[in-house]
Amino acid sequence: MATALAFQSVTKRFRNGRVALAGVSWSIAEGSRTCLLGPNGAGKSTSIRILEGALRPTAGSAELLGEPVDGPGYAAARMRTGIVPQGPGMYPDLTTREYLRFAADLYETRPDRAIATFGLREHLRTRLSELSGGFQRRVVLAGALVAEPEVLLLDEPTVGLDPKASHEVHEYLRQVMAGRTVLLCTHNLAEAEALCEDVIILREGRVVVQGRLSELRRGARPSLRLAVRQGPEALAARLNGFGPVRVNGHRVLVEVADPEREAPRVLRTLLDAGLEVYECMPVQATLEEVFLEAVG
Amino acid sequence: MSARPRLSRPVQVLLRKELRQFARSRTAVLTGLLLPALIMVVAPMAQLSAAAGGSAMRGTATLPAGVPGLSGLTQLSDVFLYVTFPLFFVLAGLMTPSLAAAHTVISERERRSIELLVALPVSVTDILTAKTAANLLVAAVTLLPLFVVDAVVVLVRTHAGPLYVMAALVLLLSALAASIGISLLLALVARDFRTANNLNGVFVVPTMIMTALCVTLVPGLWRFLVLSLLMLALGGIAYLIAVRWLTFERYVT
Repeated sequence: MATALAFQSVTKRFRNGRVALAGVSWSIAEGSRTCLLGPNGAGKSTSIRILEGALRPTAGSAELLGEPVDGPGYAAARMRTGIVPQGPGMYPDLTTREYLRFAADLYETRPDRAIATFGLREHLRTRLSELSGGFQRRVVLAGALVAEPEVLLLDEPTVGLDPKASHEVHEYLRQVMAGRTVLLCTHNLAEAEALCEDVIILREGRVVVQGRLSELRRGARPSLRLAVRQGPEALAARLNGFGPVRVNGHRVLVEVADPEREAPRVLRTLLDAGLEVYECMPVQATLEEVFLEAVG
Repeated sequence: MSARPRLSRPVQVLLRKELRQFARSRTAVLTGLLLPALIMVVAPMAQLSAAAGGSAMRGTATLPAGVPGLSGLTQLSDVFLYVTFPLFFVLAGLMTPSLAAAHTVISERERRSIELLVALPVSVTDILTAKTAANLLVAAVTLLPLFVVDAVVVLVRTHAGPLYVMAALVLLLSALAASIGISLLLALVARDFRTANNLNGVFVVPTMIMTALCVTLVPGLWRFLVLSLLMLALGGIAYLIAVRWLTFERYVT
């Protein structure tokens, strides 16, 4: 399958000396839905900004639909790409209709279909800054999708929204992501897990994990999740002999090769030691666990 | 058939948006019109009226001897035409686009709507080109009619001829051109209105001192030519600093 987005040894050093990306390489195949994860300052938004042409790599090359971002074919590739920026400010002096017409003019198309898709007909005369957070995000999505782009770059599309508005945006995203190449940059692991199949995890400007989410989960060691009435410290001390232990709130996770086979032996040991176990559950690695393991 | 320089389609679309937004902002329209009107028409006309009418300022001027730019200015109206008017033209040419720039460029950055713009298929260069073009257009539409008023009054009520009017127009246009570079620099450096205003002061005050020195030291219409060249040099330096050292990336970071 052809490559839709690619970074080849991309370094981005800002004028103040901060290195946002340090020789990053990754590629995303056409039609793939990939999430770009990482803690604050990992280089996620910088990656999106390089692809949108707002920033230039200090070294290396970035490609959008096969076109280098500083090459002559980039403008045409950009016309086939929709971008949802992270929490943008809203114009107080433009209405929804005017903004979408403006976006459609730039994409050399008409906004009618996007207006219908995102249910914006009743808000066409409302100024952007007067819309609710959820509707503002819908307008931004409509602007990005006005030309039915092949590639969609989403930078924290639900950040700052309440749960109801986030849920609505997720529903729209599910509809519009189908059949498109998507790069979703997010902090929200549940969002990434729900919307994407592939993952790239960045830490301090470097790629630490890239792959299919399902394979990463399989590759991560399974665990037993336990809780005792005496508290996590007492439990962790008793579990040390079984495998690596991690305290997570009032529960403790212990990595074991086969949780279902190991569970009875672990339980017997804890009960013999006088610990009152009230939870014992084999768990598959979640994206959160894959993420925490990758970023430390 | 000769090729005509044209703005690219994205710049045209962006320019329409800028002009629509400018027209909707009462504050921008009022400050964009009132200040230039005051500098370009009210102040010069008041001076000419004082020189010609029954004011105490009427009549001959006594100026320090031995200063090249002031020798030969015996009439009070000459002092205004050759000393204060160039100051007004430079001030109006620099200030009017800067006011528009503060509105169109800085506000976009301050309210973070710039994020919406760069997400659309336009480059940062397109955005800054459209904003600069909008600011120049607003300044030209504001200042040129005011200049016509000045030109008519100068031709009718003083002994200055068409050459003076031409020289003054060249100076005004040079100041406008200088403002392109300055506005661009302002856009890349200032992140809010306060910084923009402070930076305006940093540019305007030394420029006005330089202008005052020039009108004092350079005689006759030559002062308009020298001042025009100085304005173009100032704009060129500001543009080079903006493009070479700051780069357009700074506008979106």
